[in-house]
Amino acid sequence: MNVYIAGVATTPFGELWDVSPRSLANDVVNRAIRDAGIEKNNIEALFVGNMLSGMLGRQEHLGAFFSDSLGMHVPAFKVEGACASGGLAAHMAILSVLSGQYTTVCVLGVEKMTDHKPEDVSAALAGAGSDEERMSGATFPALYALLARVHMHRFGTTQEQLASVAVKNHFHASMNPNAQFKNLLTVEKVLQSSMVADPLHLLDCSPISDGASAVIITSKPSHPIHAIQVLASSVATDTLDIARRSSLDELRATRIAAKKAYTQAGILPKDIQVLEVHDCFTIAEILAMEDLGIYEKGKAAKAIEEGKTRLDGDFDRVVNSSGGLKGCGHPVGATGVKQLVEIVEQLRRSAGKRQVPNARYGLTHNVGGSGATAVVHILCTNRQ
Amino acid sequence: MHQSPVKVWRNQKRIRRLLGQEGAIVTWTMIHVPPQGFSSFAPYPIAVVALDNGETITAQVVDHNETTLRIGQRVVVVLRRVMEPSSDGVIPYGVKVKPL
Repeated sequence: MNVYIAGVATTPFGELWDVSPRSLANDVVNRAIRDAGIEKNNIEALFVGNMLSGMLGRQEHLGAFFSDSLGMHVPAFKVEGACASGGLAAHMAILSVLSGQYTTVCVLGVEKMTDHKPEDVSAALAGAGSDEERMSGATFPALYALLARVHMHRFGTTQEQLASVAVKNHFHASMNPNAQFKNLLTVEKVLQSSMVADPLHLLDCSPISDGASAVIITSKPSHPIHAIQVLASSVATDTLDIARRSSLDELRATRIAAKKAYTQAGILPKDIQVLEVHDCFTIAEILAMEDLGIYEKGKAAKAIEEGKTRLDGDFDRVVNSSGGLKGCGHPVGATGVKQLVEIVEQLRRSAGKRQVPNARYGLTHNVGGSGATAVVHILCTNRQ
Repeated sequence: MHQSPVKVWRNQKRIRRLLGQEGAIVTWTMIHVPPQGFSSFAPYPIAVVALDNGETITAQVVDHNETTLRIGQRVVVVLRRVMEPSSDGVIPYGVKVKPL
């Protein structure tokens, strides 16, 4: 499709107590605009990915809120899809350019979580599930723990294999200056961390984070060689609660969104060298690698444990070079946009120490809730 | 957490439909870090249960022991207080499941 990501920027992710959402947004949007080699008045619309501003910050009307604070006053929209809000906002921005209505638009993913008490943040995040799940006392880790147990029961997946996802992603995060966690983990450390929802330990879980990321989407990039082409942008949804799904060893929405994306892009899973996938919990990355068609069902955990997706030694492809949600942090509305930023950096060959050699195709995979929404993007560099 | 009394009342239709239904545990987890309103129950297990009537539900498991907390365990739906009462005094009753 004739759509490009021309500019990208992200803030560091973490506990950013001295920075407001407005400052985060101003920082990334202005840097993304400069990166695209354009001016602020070239931006024709703003798409904001955010989940919790209403429940935590008592601020809604985010389209106008940010277009005003950015000094743009353009058509502006908040797009919400739980932890997939950022990916969904990018999807809507891409459609708006494809429609011909706009030539150049901005996607801003932003979330401020650490200003609030952890129990308030957990309660707000539980808004992504169903009433029945909330009344059962389920937490987000618990829903993924339910999925993890099925996977372990059916395929013999081990807690050590789950832990190896966190170990790999912290290793990648240690090379990312914007990551929340730069400390290395070991499988033992993960298994010794406190139990949150059996079999998931604390270090199987992504953190609560602040952060913002922005990308500029355009049909007419000013620096074609610098711009990364969007080959596919697809969305799928599934039941809000996991109980009503016919199968609990997969996220069906991921499978459907991926299938559509590969068809749009005209490529196969094996063609992709670098992926940012939604590892909100370690089991989620294992499910993602299978549902995206990278590995057969039941085979991903072993491949990850053997280092086949880790940026050192003998890898087949690299997954979550940014550190993923686990290592880089997970400001929910920003995550889907940050994934695009990372893949663009990889395809431009500007990812520094995290650079995956010779990557031509990259994929992002963003999930809302326990899999009720999935967004997949496929990007490509035209550089030879 | 605030519980709308209207929602608690409306939910009673679902409770009546489910009470006494039997089924089997599809998957379960033990929650060690509970959400607001559930601290006094923790740690507690929840399960996805496939009921014999074709419905599947997520519910807390009560009166369990090490041998009854497993995939495939038969359970029955019972009425219980599901969370701590909110400040407006509404006691939220709902369904949990008990091993048979």
